[in-house]
Amino acid sequence: MALNHHRSCYYRQDHHETVGENKEKRPKFFINDHADILIEILKRLDGRSLCIAASVCRLWCTIARSDSIWENLCFRHVSPPPSVRSVVLALGGYKGLYMGCVRPVRSRLGRARRASWARDEVQLSLSLFCVDYYERLGGSNSNGRLVGESSPSSLMFLCKPVNV
Amino acid sequence: MKRDHREISGATDYSSGSGSRADSSSIGNSIKGKLWEEDRDAGGMDELLAVLGYRVRSSDMADVAQKLEMLEMVMGTAQEDGISHLSSDTVHYNPSDLSGWVQSMLAELNGPPTPNLDPVLADSDFNSSNPQHRQRNQSRVFHDDSEYDLRAIPGVAAHPPPKSDPDSDSTRKRVKTSMSSSGSDGDGSGSSFSSPKENGIPGTVTESSTRPVVLVDSQETGVRLVHTLMACAEAVQQDNLKLADALVKHVGLLAASQTGAMRKVATYFAEALARRIYRIFPQDSLDPSYTDILQMHFYETCPYLKFAHFTANQAILEAFATASRVHVIDFGLKQGMQWPALMQALALRPGGPPAFRLTGIGPPQLDNTDALQQVGWKLAQLADTIGIEFEFRGFVANSLADLEAEMLEIRPPEVEVVAVNSVFELHRLLARPGGFEKVISSIKAMKPKILTVVEQEANHNGPVFLDRFTEALHYYSSLFDSLEGSGVAPPSQDLAMSELYLGRQICNVVACEGMDRVERQEPLSQWRSRMETAGFSAVHLGSNAYKQASMLLALFAGGDGYRVDENNGCLMLGWHTRPLIATSAWRLATTESG
Repeated sequence: MALNHHRSCYYRQDHHETVGENKEKRPKFFINDHADILIEILKRLDGRSLCIAASVCRLWCTIARSDSIWENLCFRHVSPPPSVRSVVLALGGYKGLYMGCVRPVRSRLGRARRASWARDEVQLSLSLFCVDYYERLGGSNSNGRLVGESSPSSLMFLCKPVNV
Repeated sequence: MKRDHREISGATDYSSGSGSRADSSSIGNSIKGKLWEEDRDAGGMDELLAVLGYRVRSSDMADVAQKLEMLEMVMGTAQEDGISHLSSDTVHYNPSDLSGWVQSMLAELNGPPTPNLDPVLADSDFNSSNPQHRQRNQSRVFHDDSEYDLRAIPGVAAHPPPKSDPDSDSTRKRVKTSMSSSGSDGDGSGSSFSSPKENGIPGTVTESSTRPVVLVDSQETGVRLVHTLMACAEAVQQDNLKLADALVKHVGLLAASQTGAMRKVATYFAEALARRIYRIFPQDSLDPSYTDILQMHFYETCPYLKFAHFTANQAILEAFATASRVHVIDFGLKQGMQWPALMQALALRPGGPPAFRLTGIGPPQLDNTDALQQVGWKLAQLADTIGIEFEFRGFVANSLADLEAEMLEIRPPEVEVVAVNSVFELHRLLARPGGFEKVISSIKAMKPKILTVVEQEANHNGPVFLDRFTEALHYYSSLFDSLEGSGVAPPSQDLAMSELYLGRQICNVVACEGMDRVERQEPLSQWRSRMETAGFSAVHLGSNAYKQASMLLALFAGGDGYRVDENNGCLMLGWHTRPLIATSAWRLATTESG
C-alpha cells in the first residue's frame, strides 16, 4: 500500500484523479462487513500470515482463531479423509494439529518434500497428534514419568531446532 | 656436579644453582650451557625457587622442569574433566617436594604420554634418567583414525607393567645423539641419575631397543581405549581376573579423557566388565515401572521406538483392512505408546472403525499397582474421544512363556481378527531353554492373522563371551553415536535417561549369565530362520510403511544419519551404515487352523 501511495505521488494529476475517483467511488465495500469474503481470503493464507492477521482487529482475530480456517490450512493440498473432522476436533482442534504437528512436519521435510507425500505428511501429523493427546491424558500417576517431571513431550523432537 | 640440562621453551627461565659451569662444555653443548651459567647455590638447592618456598635440588632441576612441562602439556591436551581430579585427588604430603609431587601426579596418569615435539627443541640435548623417574610408555606403531577399528596390536593393549627401572628407556624426541653420552659418562660424582643406557639414543619414535614415545591425542587415546576394553574382555574370557581388574581401571582413566559418545559407551562397558569381574551382578528385578520410565525417555529422544511402532502399526493396519472386529495382543504393553496411532488410523479408516480389543501383557509390579489397568484406562479414554469401540484386558506374567492361549479368550477368526505384536520381547525368551518354542506354539494357537516382530539387529547371543562383547561394543557405540547426533542439548534429562536405558542393557549383556542374561539379541537372519522353522511365512511390509518410516526419520534432527532399508520385505532402521532395528511381519504358513 505504501508503495502504491508513493507511486501515485509522482503523478500529481493521476493522484488528483485517483483521489477524485476514490471520492467518487468511495468504497461501499468495507471488507469487515463481509465476513464470508474475509474468511475466503484468510483461508488462503499461510500459517504465519494468519497469525499476523489475527492481530489486525477483533473481527479478524475471531475469524483467524476459528478452527475451520486452520482446517483448510492442514488439508490444503489433500482431500481430507472422511470423518477426520470429528477426530481432530476431539483431539484438540485443527489449530493445535497445525501448530503442533503439521507445521513442523512440513518445515522439517521442506528440503526433501515431494508433492505426492502431502497425504502421508498429513497422516503422520495426525498420528503424532494423537500420540501427543494420549500422553497428555492424566491418569492417576502412570504418565510414564517420575513425579515432578516436565510435561509430556513425545512431540518434543519436532520442536527442537534443526541445524540449518 | 654434573648437570643435565635442556632448553625449556616457553617456560620461565630456570636458573640453576649447581656447579656445572665447568662441566657444561664437557657436555658438548655450550650453547645450552650458557643458560645455566646463572646463580649457583653451593648448598645444592636452587636459590630462586627456594625463595618461593620450594626446595628443589639443583640437580633435579631439569628433571622437575621437564616433568612440569609434561604435566602441563598433558593437562592442556586432555579434556577438562579428565585430569582435574588429579590436582584435587592426588595426595600431596610434602609441599616443598615439588619434584615428588609432580611425579606422583604423573604417576597417576599411569604412563603419561610425552607431548609431541616442539620443533625448537628438536636439537636440544637431554638425558634423563632418574631413579624416581617412572615412565611407562607404550609403543604406538600405527596411526588409525577410526575409533572403532579393532585391529589388535599384539601385546601392547595389555596393561603395561609398572617399572621403576632407573634404566628405563624413555626415549624422547628431544633426545640428542651421542654427543651427550660422553659427557655424562665421564662424570658420576654428584649425579644421582646418569644412566649410560640413556645416551646415544637417536631421536626417533620407533626404536628397536626402546619403547617409543606416546603421542597425546584424544583420537589415539580413543583407539587405545577400545583396545584396552577388548583386552580386558579377553582377560575375562580367559579367566585372568587380576589382569582384567587392572585393565578395567585403566579403561576408566582412559575413558575420562574422551568426550561424547565414546566416553559414555566406554564407561558403561567398563562398569559392566567390573561387575562381571567382581561378581556384583545387577539386580534385574528392578522396578519395572522404572524401566518403563527410562524407555519413555528413550522413546522421545530418538526414533527407534517410534519407527518400531509406526512400521508395526502399518503392517497391522493392512492386515485389519476389512475386519469389523479386531484384537491386538501386545506382548509388552509398557505405556501403550504404540496404540494411539493405530487407533487413530483405525478411526479414520474408510468404512468406519472396527471394534478394537487390546490385550496387554506386562511384568508384575513391585508395588502391586495395576499398571496395566491404568494404561488400559487411558487408552479407553482416547478411544472414547475418537469414537472407537474399545475393550481392554491386562495380563501380568513374569515371562511370556507362562502364557497360554486359552487364558486370552481368543474368539474365532470369523468373529475377530487377531494380531500379535512383540517389540523387543522375543529375544528375552532365549534365556530360558524351550521358552521361545513354547511362546511360538502359544502364538500359533491364537491363530493370528499377522505377527509383528521388532528386534534389535545385533548378535548378542553367541556362545563365546568375547564375541558377544565385541558385537555389543560395536552395536551400542553406534547407538550412542546416534543419540549424540540427535541434536538434543547436552544437559537434557531425556538424553541421560535414554543412555541409562541402554546402559542397563549393556550391563545385562556383559555382566550377566544364564537365565539372568535376558538381552540376547539376535540378528534378523536368525529370527527369520527361527520363524520359518516354526511354520511362519513372511509378510512384506509395504511401501506405505517405508514412506512413513522415511518421513518420520527425516523429522528427527540428525535425520541425515538415520537410514531406512528394506531387506526382503523387512524394514531396518540404521545409523549410517549400521542397521540397528529390524521390523518384520509374519503369518501362519498354513492358512487353515493348524
